[in-house]
This record gives sequence, structure tokens and C-alpha cells, in this order.
Amino acid sequence: MQALHLRDARFRYKGSTAWALDGVSLDVEKGEFVTILGANGSGKSTICLMSNGLVPHALPGDLEGTAEVFGLDVRSHPVTELATKVGIIFQEPESQLFCMSVEEEVAFGPENLAVPSDEIRERVEWALELVGMEGYNDRSPFSLSGGQKQRVAIAAALSMRPDMLVLDEPAYALDPVGRVELYQVLKGLKEHHGMTVLLAECDSEEAAKYSDKVALMKDGRVISYGKPRDVLGDPERLRALGVTPPQVSEVSALLKERLEGADFSFISVDEAERAINEKFTNRKRGREQ
Amino acid sequence: MIPRVPMSADQDKIISVHELKFVYDGSVRALAGINLDVRRGDYLAIVGGNGSGKTTLAKNMNGLLRPTSGSVAVNGVSTSEQTVAELAKVIGYAFQNPDHQLFCSSVAEEVRFGPLNLGYPEAEVAKKTELSIEAMGLSSVKDLPPFSLTLGERRRVSIASVMAMDPQVFILDEPTTGLDARETDDLMDSIDRLNIDGHTVVLITHDMKLVAKHAKRVVVMSEGRIVLDSDPGGVFADLELLLRSKLVPPPVAQLAHRLSSLGVPREVLSPEELVFHLMSGRGARK
Amino acid sequence: MTGFIDLYTEAGTFLHRTDPRVKIVAVATLSLLALIMSNLVNLLVLAAVMVVLILFGRASFKKTMLAFSYVFRVMALIVVLWPLFNPGGTPVLFDLWPIKITEPGILAGIATAVRIFCLAAAWYLLMFTTSQRDLVRGLVKMGLRFDFGLSLAMSLRFLPTFSAIVESIKEAQRARGLELDKGNFRKRAKDYVAVLVPTVITALKMADTLSLALQSRAYGARADRTYVRELKMRAGDYVALFIAVAVFAIPATVKYIFSVPL
Repeated sequence: MQALHLRDARFRYKGSTAWALDGVSLDVEKGEFVTILGANGSGKSTICLMSNGLVPHALPGDLEGTAEVFGLDVRSHPVTELATKVGIIFQEPESQLFCMSVEEEVAFGPENLAVPSDEIRERVEWALELVGMEGYNDRSPFSLSGGQKQRVAIAAALSMRPDMLVLDEPAYALDPVGRVELYQVLKGLKEHHGMTVLLAECDSEEAAKYSDKVALMKDGRVISYGKPRDVLGDPERLRALGVTPPQVSEVSALLKERLEGADFSFISVDEAERAINEKFTNRKRGREQ
Repeated sequence: MIPRVPMSADQDKIISVHELKFVYDGSVRALAGINLDVRRGDYLAIVGGNGSGKTTLAKNMNGLLRPTSGSVAVNGVSTSEQTVAELAKVIGYAFQNPDHQLFCSSVAEEVRFGPLNLGYPEAEVAKKTELSIEAMGLSSVKDLPPFSLTLGERRRVSIASVMAMDPQVFILDEPTTGLDARETDDLMDSIDRLNIDGHTVVLITHDMKLVAKHAKRVVVMSEGRIVLDSDPGGVFADLELLLRSKLVPPPVAQLAHRLSSLGVPREVLSPEELVFHLMSGRGARK
Repeated sequence: MTGFIDLYTEAGTFLHRTDPRVKIVAVATLSLLALIMSNLVNLLVLAAVMVVLILFGRASFKKTMLAFSYVFRVMALIVVLWPLFNPGGTPVLFDLWPIKITEPGILAGIATAVRIFCLAAAWYLLMFTTSQRDLVRGLVKMGLRFDFGLSLAMSLRFLPTFSAIVESIKEAQRARGLELDKGNFRKRAKDYVAVLVPTVITALKMADTLSLALQSRAYGARADRTYVRELKMRAGDYVALFIAVAVFAIPATVKYIFSVPL
């Protein structure tokens, strides 16, 4: 059973003539970190919203094909049920936090599920610690920085003990440091708590660094799906899809072009350093001999 | 910290900031003594983490905020002697969130709003509107309501509506937030063109890849101070400073630093430059 | 941020520690007490007690002054206007038709102003010493429907957010040469459309996300919702509740059963 299983899924929002998803097939295994990359309007958000049933329950439309979350058909299970399996975080930090204190924010989900007070308090402490926001219980969400707000939003999802976190461009309004902190939190959740993470982005820099798998979307379809190295190696292609390529992949592509017999395909700074050092130190030595 | 002056200092100053301090609500210190000259034709990026004072500095340039102490002069005249509307004729300011300014029922009307406020005659308003819509690539959507457009298009409308006021300086606050690669490239092309046409551009951002690709001068801000003023290469030569200023150097800059033993200089800005230095095997810059 | 100020000041006084429900009851009884009293001396005593309580509550001086600046203006207005419009009794101090000013009229005006002060002070005391979240929690515990309480909490939570958004929108339009608060009424009304439309649209967009966020956190999943912090009445709260009720009940008995004017 997969965390997310889409097979030829088509979705059209009510009142729209275009298919937002036009035959998507995508499997996310439990415990994987998957990034969906694509231009604005390519269908990333719709997949995110479908993963906890907001599509089609809160945002209705025509849904065809298979769309299952942990084996549950999203059509026949309400959001309130799927919410205990999948926690979702939206792009805008401000408008998804609606309580007067961080504690109430994180407690809101389990309160709705009628979890006993003592256990809610334990969950709140646990969730805040996981996102590095312990001690902020009494602060108003309004007073936090963008990065802190997003981490509280993650904690608010975690307190419902979901098996998967889904984030729709969560770093949208964050500065670079806030971005790094956010991804570190997600990485920790995946590695130490077996959390499945599904993320939508239009910049692939973090996808290259953190994802197990990357899906490339175009016009409501997944056109490539696999390991970052296999999917993100061609910067020209990514640009054409409206996706920012990993910057070092451009170095890799240029070197391949100019250096005969070079077989580079690095997407991270570490790999690039190793590969280039090897190649060019040899070359230098070769020249010196 | 002594600022490095990258260009000839006798160029015409268009904005002159002197010992500027700014305090919000009598208690929150946002700017702690800024000295900065923006020269005619500059393509200046003001970078720094959230809360570093970038936006506060920019709002002091167009009179939305007035110095707590120190001074800001535009074309040699202190901002305290001019209204925001008067300053708007010289300094155009596009806000980060375009939805905070769009309210008309068509793109054309939206773009007309600024020049009408500034009291230009009807014929001139029409001309400026037409030109701005054209320049921002909005001709095909000019009769549509702005709210029906994509975020990328709404950003363009917001910049066109500033452009129609015919300012000498464009201040653009995080213009690429939320845009995908294609939308970003298109928008930045238009902004580059504004600069090529002789406009001064002040870009507020924390996207260092964008800075490396487009800006000609970079001011790094941290905790209300300018910690570095240099050409982009000079900024990427000091990764420590960037990290201290809550900025993350682009991967290519990180890679260049690690490859210095191969003769790659630390000031590398782009993948092309890095590859050029690797291939030439020398420390010389393009 | 600008525009809106939360009157609450954090401090661990007994007024802060008291259960919000007791404080809500106390505000009601103190208000009723102020309403049934008409004797100026009695009202002044009550006002003095309120001042003492506010001092005990250690509210910030700035917030207190700001809150009461409005009250003082209303009081001044009443003191001036009351004798003009309610010229009952004697002695007459000034009589020039149609204006007649009497001593009881002046005293009644002052008494009304002091009563207004007492009413305002009771409510402010609650706001000064009770965080918004405790207030909402108290109201829900007293029987307010949870969804109403949540709406109230969300309104309070988003007030500073909206205040900041409106400020940003005003700035964005001023940067386009719009001169708000200049010109005649028609121009001003028209100008405000440029602020109002983006505000409404931004609010609607936020409301969309908000509704999705609420559902994503299982809002409405079960009727038997729990609460992370249950309000619990402690011994001190019962004593406070007793005092709060007695403060009204005793004078009311004196006035209505024993017919002693207060």
C-alpha cells in the first residue's frame, strides 16, 4: 500500500473547462521524500490538495481515475478522516494560522479529534520540539517570523500524528535562512521519524538535495519521475518546463559540452567538487608529465 | 566596514542617503545609520534577510517613511520637503504583493491610475499607459480585470502602473516571489531593459542567484546597517559575510570557493564563468 | 503594529489568575451596581474602588491612558450637555430661555459621567487582566457555541494582520500618487475605493486558505471536542465569585427590599 497512489487521475475544478490534472500517475511510497516540480499552473497544487481530500470535497469538480491515500479512495473518505493520515501545509504562512497562541494552534487538530487534554499537551510539546519551536507556546502566531510560522504550521499538522506531510510551496515567503531551517526540519522528520514527505516547488535546488524522488509536471501530467540525478540532469529541459534547475547541473552540462570524454552529471555542490577535482587534477597532472 | 566603491564616484547621484536612522513606533530600531548614494543608471540590489531593514530603507527613499534622524535627498532635494506624490514622479515603487494595489476593472485603467493622480494631461496619460502596457508585454490582456490574471501577470501590471508615472528610479520589492523559472526570466528581462534604457533600478531581494545574474552593484544589509557595498563578484567572494547576513550564497559561488586550488577565483557569478575559469586553468577573470 | 492595540498586559496578579468566567460575572455585577446607584458620593466610592483595582491589575500606563482617553472625552461631553437637556429641580442657577441650568441638573450630569467611568473601568479591567484567549475560552465554557467562540477568536487574531495589510495597501496607493485625506468628500470616498477593493480581495483570498486550513485540521470531526486547557475553578475563584455576586446582591437588596436610595 502506497502513501499516495494516483493512476490516470483527471480532475477538473467546477466551473472550469480545462483539466487541472490530465491523466496523472504517481506513486509515493511510505517513508519517501518526494518533490513535485513544475511551472505555476502545471497541477502541483491540485495533487497536494487531493492528498487529504480537499479536492474533491472542499473544492469540488470532476474526478476520474484512481486517487488513493494510504489505500483510501479520496472520493469516499471525508477530509476530517484523511486529515489524520495526511497533514497539509500551505504557501502563505499567515493565513493558515488562526488561533491566538501557538499552543492552541498546535492543539486545534487533536482537540477536534477529541483527544484527552493530557495527551494533547504531550503532543503539543512533542510537535513543537520536532520543529524547533519549543517554548513558544504562549506567543501569538502573528508575532512570529515567516519561517517560524511555517514551522508552527508543520507542528499543527504533526500533532494529529499523520503518516505523511504535504507541503505546497512552503518556502514561498521565506528568506534563505528560513528556507534552510524549514528543509532541515523536513529532513529530520523523514530520517528520524519515518515521515513521508510530499512537496511542491518550482525551484529544484532543494529537491536535488533532499528528495528521494522527483516528479516533473507539465500541463497536468507527470512527464518524468525518478531519482533526482536522473530527472534533474538536463538544465535546458527544466528551464523549458518553468523549473529552476540545480545551479551546478548547469556547470555539469557546460563541462560536458566543452570537455571531450567528460561524463558529468552532478546536481549537488559536494558531487561537483569531487568530480571536478578528480577530472581536473588528473588533467593538470597529465599536462605536467 | 569601509564600503567598496565599484564605479566612478563622480556619476550623477539620484538618491543620497546620509546618516539615516529610522525607528518604528518610537521603539523598534530598523535602520541604524545608513550612508548610500544611488547613482543615475545604477542597477542596485539591496539584499539581506527578512527584518534586515531593506524595505524600510526603500520606503525612506520614496517618502513613505521619513527619517527619524539623518537625511534622504532625491535629485538633491530632501524628501522631507516633498510629498509622496511629488516623489512618485521620480521614484516608482512596486510593492512585493501586487494584490495590495490592484483595484480597477481593467489592466488599462489600473495603469492609468498613477499618471492621472500625478495630474498629467489626458493625451500624455494615454500615451504613457500605452507604452507601459506594451513594454510589460500586457497588450493582449489590457482589457481584462487584473484579478483574473496569473501572479506573474499581476506583477507586470503592478510594474507597468509604476512605469506609466515615468519615474527615473524603479524600486522593486521582491519582484520574483512566487514566480516559476520562466515567469522570473521574462520579468527580469523586462527589468533589465528598463535599466538598459537608462532607468535606475533598485532591486530588493534575498535571492542571490537573481543578484548574480542581473545586478551591477550590491548592498548587503544586516540588522539595519549596510555591511557591504560592492559589485556582485565582491559579495560572493565573502561567503562568511553572506551567511552572517542571513543569506545563502548560490551553489556556484560555494563551488567556486571549494575549487580555488584549480585556479577558480572566488568572485565567480555564473556557471558559465566557473566553467570558463576551469577550462582556461588560470586565475584570470573574464 | 499600527491601528489596533491589545489591552492585555502580562502580569501575575490575583486579577490575572482569577478564572475568566468569574471575571466576566464580576464585570456584569459591577456594571449593574453602577447602574442602580444614582447618589454621586456612592458612585465616587465605586469609582475609587475601580481605580484601586486597575492599579492592582498593573496595566501598562500607556494602554490605560489610551483606553481612558475616549472615556474622558465622553465624560466631559456628558458633564457639559446633561444639565442643558435635563434641567430638573431647583435651585436654578442660570435661566435664559431656552437655556436653564439647575444644581440637580449639574450633579446628575456629574453622576452620570462617573457612572460611565465605572462601567468603562469594569470592562477595561477585564480586558487589562485577561488575555483574549482566556476571554474566549471563558465565554465558550459559559455556554457560547464553540464555532462562535472560534469566530470571535479568529477576528481578534486577525485584527493586527488586517491592520498591517490595510497599512501596506495605503502605502502602495500613495506610492502611485494617491493623496488620501485630501480634497472634498466625493474625492475622498472615491480614493478609498483604491484601498477598499484590494483589502476586500486580500481578505477573501485569506478566508479561502483559512477555510481549507480549518478543514485540514479536522475541524468539525466530532461533536465531543476536547480542550487542551480545561478551565478549573479553584478555591480562590469561588471566593472571588462570591464577592463578585455579593457586591451587587447586597446593595440591590438594600435598595429594592429595604427601599434605601443609593
